[in-house]
Amino acid sequence: MQAIELILRRVVLMIVILFAVSFLTFLIVHVLPGDVANAILGDLATPDQVELVRQRMGLNEPVLLRYWHWVTAFASGDFGMSLAYNTPIAPLVFERLANSVILALISLAVAVPISVALGVLAAMYQGSIIDRIITGTVVLFFALPEYVVALMLILIFSIWLGWLPGSSLIPPGGSVLANFPAIVLPVTVVTVGMLAYLSQVTRASMVAALRANYVRTADLKGLPGYIVVVKHALRNAMLPALVEIGLNFGYTLGGLVIVETVFSYAGIGQLLMMAVQSRDIPTIQAVVIVIAAAYGIGNLIADVISIALNPKLRT
Amino acid sequence: MSQQATLTVEHLSVSYDAGDTPLRAVRDVSFSIAPGEAYGLIGESGSGKTTVAFAMMNYLRGGRIEGGRILLQGQPIQDLPKSELRQIRGNKVAMVYQDPMSSLNPGIRVGEQIAEALRYHGIADRAGARARAVRLLADVNLPDPEAMVDRYPHQLSGGQQQRIVIAMALACEPDLVIMDEPTTGLDVTTEAVILDLIRELRHKINASILFISHNIAVVAKVCDRVGVLYAGELVEEGRVAEVIRRPKHPYTVGLVASMPSGTDRSQRLASIKGSLPDLTKVPQGCIFADRCLISRDVCLAERPPAIEVGPAHISRCLFPDEAQDVIQKAEARVVAPARAAGPAETVMHIDDLKLWYTRRRGLRVWHKPQPVRAVNGVTLDIEAGRTLAVVGESGSGKSTLARCVVGLVPPTGGAIEFHGERLGGRARQRGVKTRQRIQIIFQNPESALNPQRTVGEIIARPLKLYNCVEPSRIDERVAELMKAVNLPARYASRYPHQLSGGEKQRVSIARVLGTEPDLIICDEPTSALDISVQAAVLNALSDLQARHGLSYMFISHDLGVVRYISDRVAVMYLGVVVETGPTEAVFKAPHHPYTESLVAALPDLSGNGEKPEVRLQGTPPSPTARIKGCVFASRCPRKVGAICETTPPPVQNLADGRKLACHIPVDELARLQGAVPAVAVG
Ligand code: SF4
Ligand code: SF4
Repeated sequence: MQAIELILRRVVLMIVILFAVSFLTFLIVHVLPGDVANAILGDLATPDQVELVRQRMGLNEPVLLRYWHWVTAFASGDFGMSLAYNTPIAPLVFERLANSVILALISLAVAVPISVALGVLAAMYQGSIIDRIITGTVVLFFALPEYVVALMLILIFSIWLGWLPGSSLIPPGGSVLANFPAIVLPVTVVTVGMLAYLSQVTRASMVAALRANYVRTADLKGLPGYIVVVKHALRNAMLPALVEIGLNFGYTLGGLVIVETVFSYAGIGQLLMMAVQSRDIPTIQAVVIVIAAAYGIGNLIADVISIALNPKLRT
Repeated sequence: MSQQATLTVEHLSVSYDAGDTPLRAVRDVSFSIAPGEAYGLIGESGSGKTTVAFAMMNYLRGGRIEGGRILLQGQPIQDLPKSELRQIRGNKVAMVYQDPMSSLNPGIRVGEQIAEALRYHGIADRAGARARAVRLLADVNLPDPEAMVDRYPHQLSGGQQQRIVIAMALACEPDLVIMDEPTTGLDVTTEAVILDLIRELRHKINASILFISHNIAVVAKVCDRVGVLYAGELVEEGRVAEVIRRPKHPYTVGLVASMPSGTDRSQRLASIKGSLPDLTKVPQGCIFADRCLISRDVCLAERPPAIEVGPAHISRCLFPDEAQDVIQKAEARVVAPARAAGPAETVMHIDDLKLWYTRRRGLRVWHKPQPVRAVNGVTLDIEAGRTLAVVGESGSGKSTLARCVVGLVPPTGGAIEFHGERLGGRARQRGVKTRQRIQIIFQNPESALNPQRTVGEIIARPLKLYNCVEPSRIDERVAELMKAVNLPARYASRYPHQLSGGEKQRVSIARVLGTEPDLIICDEPTSALDISVQAAVLNALSDLQARHGLSYMFISHDLGVVRYISDRVAVMYLGVVVETGPTEAVFKAPHHPYTESLVAALPDLSGNGEKPEVRLQGTPPSPTARIKGCVFASRCPRKVGAICETTPPPVQNLADGRKLACHIPVDELARLQGAVPAVAVG
């Protein structure tokens, strides 16, 4: 009961936020000083061209009406036409989104178990040499910007060793999964980026759990050490950690821009980059909203998981 | 007695690392517990009692056993490898903890938390362990054990959680159960039922008990013998009744005399001055010497040996027969102020005060939230120069009432009159003069004092704020105030962290005195303090009342303290005052069924006195519940029927000035309670 209400409340909140985001992106593009059509076409445009664009984008109507048209069309799946590609935006965005989600999910699937293992290990031997090695390495990677890691990996594995392709260009229509070697390096870069954060989150909540009185109780019941750690400490420590992972999912999607650009991976981040470069405003709007939605859904999933795992809300 | 002891502790010493020199928390402690015996270990904070408890399990985080032996049925356990230790923990020695909520795993069903120990110690398989868990829950008197095993800890009340912890400890039929302050933090009525349960189980389980507590009365209730720990040494040991009646160590004497329950209010409580010695530099003489009122030079030479002072009664004092003298020597006795009988002027009149609030929780879709009725129609008078105590358990609304009175939260209904003048709801709506005259002392002096300022600055602050004295006289006034609460003048330049808990609380009293208030609201001012320190604070409060004619509203859950300090008492339950009247009258013959259960729950020093006892079961209803009849109906042991649930009980006025709200006529109540019938008027 309580749980359902909580989830519903989060959904409502998410919808409200999406509206806010859509309105803001709309406003920023359409109300800011400077003519959008001019911005799109650049300085060399003729007045006729400008007028054509204005009509195509409905720029001559009042702002709120335009927003209304835009939102209703958006909600019915019509994201408009891309100015740069001259194709409908919706299929384009969804194809790219799918690719990004695949990349993010695979990275998560690799990063989560590794970071949980590292975090638990570091927490169990807190302050020891093991803890310091794990924490040190992980923080070192965290300090390196993603493009540096990416370029290092490309240098080593594709240029020197020649084991893996340095670019993840996928032939149009080809599936990402069919080109597995192409995504190994991007996945590695994203994983390394997540590892630092996730393992430190796990470590922190595990340290707290290991200090808790109920772990002492378990110890003094004479339970074997692994039962104490896994059943009593980790189970409770996972709750905050999972919430972080959910938050991280949205973050990962947004942060894919760099990785996708470096590897020319056909994801949504790369689409955003290209749209920005070619001033393809309708596409920018669509991508921003889709990323915001993905972010929200990531959080929602994390909430649902944590509610499901939290006995206090299960009743 | 050739029977082997269950537990023998020989010359145990434990140290913790603390910078350069180790902190020698426990030194040369020896005692033994016979099969089936319950042994109490008493001490205040810093006495090392919890360290001793965990040493029995060889579980000392950051601590080391420096010397001595711990023998469990003759087998030394201090050097056992981890694997063998695991065989003992939970199986031969089990533990009941303080704070059951945090000791149970929030994510695992309680039945499984009991059953897992049985499985890992190879006592039962999965099905057998579960069946046994159900039986154990029945043994600890939990209702509906079949359903209870599948609950999570947060679904249970504090008392139920502690029963689970006890069931868990008994699961493997251990030889020794260590109970570390098992009732501290529970409400009085819950404490009483848990202590009843422990006494009842003692006869069933045939295990020895090591019972750790700071409360002698509690130990008296469940234990056969007691050891008194002071600063890591066992200073006295003997049969419980004997030690309480004829303590032979000055520390024990002080401890017993500082217990407010049983002390009649014309007497001062004997506090123990000073504070614990620094255990990184243990003195070579008697450990108590710097606080002992009868110490002499020989005491400083070497540690007193354990002297046999009676049958099975030992004391580590060189002058055991003079120990009682410390009571006479304890601070010059101020004769408690003669309490003028008869009516006194009313300082504050609280009229039908209500504080309801709604927990706001974001977007509420379908049901309208019920307000929390924290204070629900309280009418009280505070008389000049006297103390009105407000007692109640957690959730009774007593602290909220206090916060309303000082204007920290505005009430949602009713009125407060101060010297006949109606007060604004918030402190800032009241005049400066009024704010100055109503002051509050909080429970936790740690958080109430600014750690960055010296004691002198802290006390001077309100003086400057309210322009109480001319700036040139501030230092003088600070010195006066410090003297008034018995703080040495040299403390003015110290910082709060250099003070003990009791001293800090006296600083907060000195601070509020500066504004020359008429009325001081004391919100559990001694609950965070040790008993001997509590005595000093209570004494300071009574002295000040006698000298300056202060009025107090004293909020407390501790009936012993209330009985000692107050003239009138109001008993709160679920936001409502159920009985009010002169303290002695109410305590001698509590008539309202709730007051009756509260008073019955109070463990007293007489030990196992078998008076007819009422026990409260269950928990109070949720504060958001809308109650049509009597607030106490869901738990009342004397409930008369449906009328209690449907109609608010009438207020009955008694001849001795008491008021109580109950459907049962007071004469009938008195008859049921076996007390002298009270006379009802009106
Ligand atoms: S030995 Fe001396 S200092 Fe110690 S308690 Fe006895 S009289 Fe006091
Ligand atoms: S009114 Fe009824 S329920 Fe309330 S205290 Fe009296 S007997 Fe008990």
